[in-house]
Amino acid sequence: MSTLAQQQQALVDALFAWPADDALNRLNAHCTGVGSQAQRGILAYQANGHALAERALQSAYPVVAQMLGAESFADLARALWHAHPPVRGDVAQWGGDLADFIAQSDQLQDEPFMPDVARVEWQLHCSATAHDQEADLASLALLTTEDPATLGLLLAPGTGCIRSAWPIASIWLAHTECTPSFAEVGTQLRARTAQDAVVWRQGLQPRLRLALPGEYAVLSALQAGTELEPAVAQASELDFTQWLPLAVQTGLVLGAYRISEERQP
Amino acid sequence: MPTPHTQMAESEPRQPLHAGLGWRHPHYAQLLEQRPALDFLEVHSENFFAAGGAALAVLERGRKLYPVSLHGVGLSLGSAAGVDPWHLDQLANLVERIDPVRVSDHASFARAPFGDRVVHAADLLPLPFTHEALDVLAANVQRVQDRLQRRFMVENISAYMQWNSAADQTLQETEFLNTLVRRTGCALLVDVNNIYVNALNAHKAGSCADPMAACKSWLEHIDPDAVEELHLAGHCNVNDAHGDIVIDDHGSRVSAPVWELYRHALTCFGAVPTLMEWDTAIPALDVLLDEVARARAVAEQTLGVAA
Repeated sequence: MSTLAQQQQALVDALFAWPADDALNRLNAHCTGVGSQAQRGILAYQANGHALAERALQSAYPVVAQMLGAESFADLARALWHAHPPVRGDVAQWGGDLADFIAQSDQLQDEPFMPDVARVEWQLHCSATAHDQEADLASLALLTTEDPATLGLLLAPGTGCIRSAWPIASIWLAHTECTPSFAEVGTQLRARTAQDAVVWRQGLQPRLRLALPGEYAVLSALQAGTELEPAVAQASELDFTQWLPLAVQTGLVLGAYRISEERQP
Repeated sequence: MPTPHTQMAESEPRQPLHAGLGWRHPHYAQLLEQRPALDFLEVHSENFFAAGGAALAVLERGRKLYPVSLHGVGLSLGSAAGVDPWHLDQLANLVERIDPVRVSDHASFARAPFGDRVVHAADLLPLPFTHEALDVLAANVQRVQDRLQRRFMVENISAYMQWNSAADQTLQETEFLNTLVRRTGCALLVDVNNIYVNALNAHKAGSCADPMAACKSWLEHIDPDAVEELHLAGHCNVNDAHGDIVIDDHGSRVSAPVWELYRHALTCFGAVPTLMEWDTAIPALDVLLDEVARARAVAEQTLGVAA
């Protein structure tokens, strides 16, 4: 390993290893601090990293942050920073490991729904920056002229459906839109009400709502590129003729396409 | 000891100063609505790496109104582990989409192995000014320029630690940057505040007797033909239980000594496009525009240019 590579690895070790004492001792062989004390500069870089971790995670997980409180969330952000450091130079890409990290956290075992709330928020975070897709509502005429076994539905950017054993849609909506009430969410939590949440982007705005019965199966099939007819057949409880106008009106469905033309982004 | 470059001759033609603003999220909507008189906007490239969505739509609206400079913070140009191909792909896509007036990043590193993978520290970590680091930096800058098919700007950073390197292997920072320019044909983005922050910290450490003189000397030793942009920002002094250090936090107005150095930089480099950066505790847009107006006034006083 070159001297430069050793120096750089030593500094990155000192920033991400936790506790950092051994790594700092190794780094001391390579450098001196600036300012009035030798280690002051390294502490400045560590503090920068922690502050950035808190800001980035707060931006991606506002409801998890609200539920945990500022101090616990900051601790969680710093712990994730050290356990799963960024691998990309765009910090908005960092934080996708939070749901699994929470699930493995001893301190958060009393809140077993929290990993699914994190999954929902990461889907929303990714939805916000998904590839833009123009609606092509005229293409929906294909539904009346073509064999549905040959068609697919063009879904909104960032569409995802999250299945949970907990009332995740209610939890998220209560914290962001005040509906349902926290009292209703509490009742659902005690009853362990399972919910599926649908995430999509309406124009430039990420959206979330409670999935309709059967919608999880249909959307999952459509996202996998399944033709419309077998996709709808996945869930007899979903009334497609009622669902489609709602989905088009809210921007979840942007059009239809022939599977052979592979228009799905 | 390298020779100081000659200051800009009196007879050189006067160019108007192009003054720009670091365009950040709190001012996205207001700036599009008010359309203040700015010569360019500068954004952090990584904030617009997404394939789509609201931020990219805002940038495209801004681009219709102003020239845009793309300023990166994550290329990790000095990394021995190399530039991340993913990062370079995203930057190339953005350059193609925005057609920026300038593209830049820093003479720093962030990528290095940690455990079983290469991680990114999301910071501007300092390089030793060694021949080995220069080789790595030059190779990475050349790779970026080859990919983008354009001249790239590299910025000097604030460093909060110094590497121990053998004296016979170590260059002065200015010589390091000038050599980078000669070897790659890249340009320099000189951050005046960063020079001053480094000098203040060196002063606290007892290795710099006169920070202002050291900064002026730094500017005089930079190849003036290489400088395509100047950055101005605020800094703060942190004095806590861990020690006393100056941090380049971009969270306040430009300090009086940095304005003095800016005058000196203009004398050395001419009416180079100048950007006002403010990234933490971001104030009202009017405050930033006031700082931009001051940069124009300083340029007019210093060079007699029409701002």
